[in-house]
Amino acid sequence: MNETPVIEIKELTRRYGKQDAVNGLSLTVRPGRCYGFFGRNGAGKTTTIKCLLNLLRPTAGSVRVFGLDPQRDEVAVKSRLAYVPDVVAFYPWMTVRDTLKYLASFRAHWNRDIEADLLRRFGLNAAQKTTALSKGQRTQLALIGAICPEPELLLLDEPTSGLDPIVRREFIQTVIGAYQSGDPGSRTVFVSTHLISEFEGLIDEFTIIEQGRELLTMEADAARDRFKKIRARFAQPPAKLDLPGALSVKQNGREVEILANGSSDEFIAKLKSLQPEELQTESLTLEEIFVASQSLGPSKP
Amino acid sequence: MVFQVDFKTGKPVYLQLVDQVRYAAASGGLRPGEPLPSIRPLAEELRVNRNTVAKAYTELESQGVIETIPGKGCFLKENNSPFTKPVRQKLLLKEVDEAVVMAHHLQVDREAFLALVKERLDHFERKVASHEEKS
Repeated sequence: MNETPVIEIKELTRRYGKQDAVNGLSLTVRPGRCYGFFGRNGAGKTTTIKCLLNLLRPTAGSVRVFGLDPQRDEVAVKSRLAYVPDVVAFYPWMTVRDTLKYLASFRAHWNRDIEADLLRRFGLNAAQKTTALSKGQRTQLALIGAICPEPELLLLDEPTSGLDPIVRREFIQTVIGAYQSGDPGSRTVFVSTHLISEFEGLIDEFTIIEQGRELLTMEADAARDRFKKIRARFAQPPAKLDLPGALSVKQNGREVEILANGSSDEFIAKLKSLQPEELQTESLTLEEIFVASQSLGPSKP
Repeated sequence: MVFQVDFKTGKPVYLQLVDQVRYAAASGGLRPGEPLPSIRPLAEELRVNRNTVAKAYTELESQGVIETIPGKGCFLKENNSPFTKPVRQKLLLKEVDEAVVMAHHLQVDREAFLALVKERLDHFERKVASHEEKS
């Protein structure tokens, strides 16, 4: 059983002049996982991905893809992955069919059944020039080009930005359907996105990057178990609550809302002792965790 | 049966699916011998990781709730392990608690509340009886 991580980033640092775009980032993606990579604009996501693709060289630290150095073994690495960025470029004189033939020519393997199936599913006209395609159709074409070689790693960088909700949904469904259908151990997805709520169902594990550093890495289920929103309503506005370690405490008259990163049982017990009229707990979604995590600071929970 | 995924419950997604199948089996939403959706279309429809759905189905199979017939699909087993009485009562408890709290807020007192419950039970039994007479 192959346990080599598909992606292994160790203390990655990438400097631009005096700035560290990425500063000591570490993360590991095991085979078969769907890994989310979240961060604000300028946090270092695209720089990290460029290092995986040997478009940039690390200033310090290391990246390994399939256990290989993308710099030393560029072709070996790239032949086993496919990349879908947010802005897709095709040769403008080529048709959809030409483009797919061209992309296929670089690949040792190309599944023509999937190609035909996805062209039909997306309703793309194979004879149409790529310049005539809408943004959504260009992304669909790029996705076909990425899935047909049945790569071991699908690297997605803001793939659905600027697309309408229907196309965005179909994109995710296609990743789940056409891509994930293969042998689970050889189907790994690494997706960098702002649209966290859309990808939430897909994500097994994620890293939030902030100012070039890892802010939080967790399994999605564990994160939703850990991060809670506790809402309470009292008969009278309660005295200022002492809840050390809470991510945030908001008091609005008789109502209190607490965001907890662990210790929620403790907070619930404290609230219960004040005899609330109503007390409700729910988990934070990954997107809410992302927003709340900004107050976590550089140290891990 | 209808599947729903709720990221706010804090329960692992695969367990939500397992519980929903078991609940459907216990409440008639899914009958013995009825097919479940295949893994791929269900994962696509819910927009959930395919491995998550696969994990749920594997769990249901190991619990003896469903069986896979190669080439045909997944089906609810006959005599699948039903919920035990304490589990069934626990499922009902949540709804009862909500009704009790609501009665309190609406200032419906204990006698009125219990009378209402009895009336609705009678009504339900009459409905079931007349339905069975027709079929």
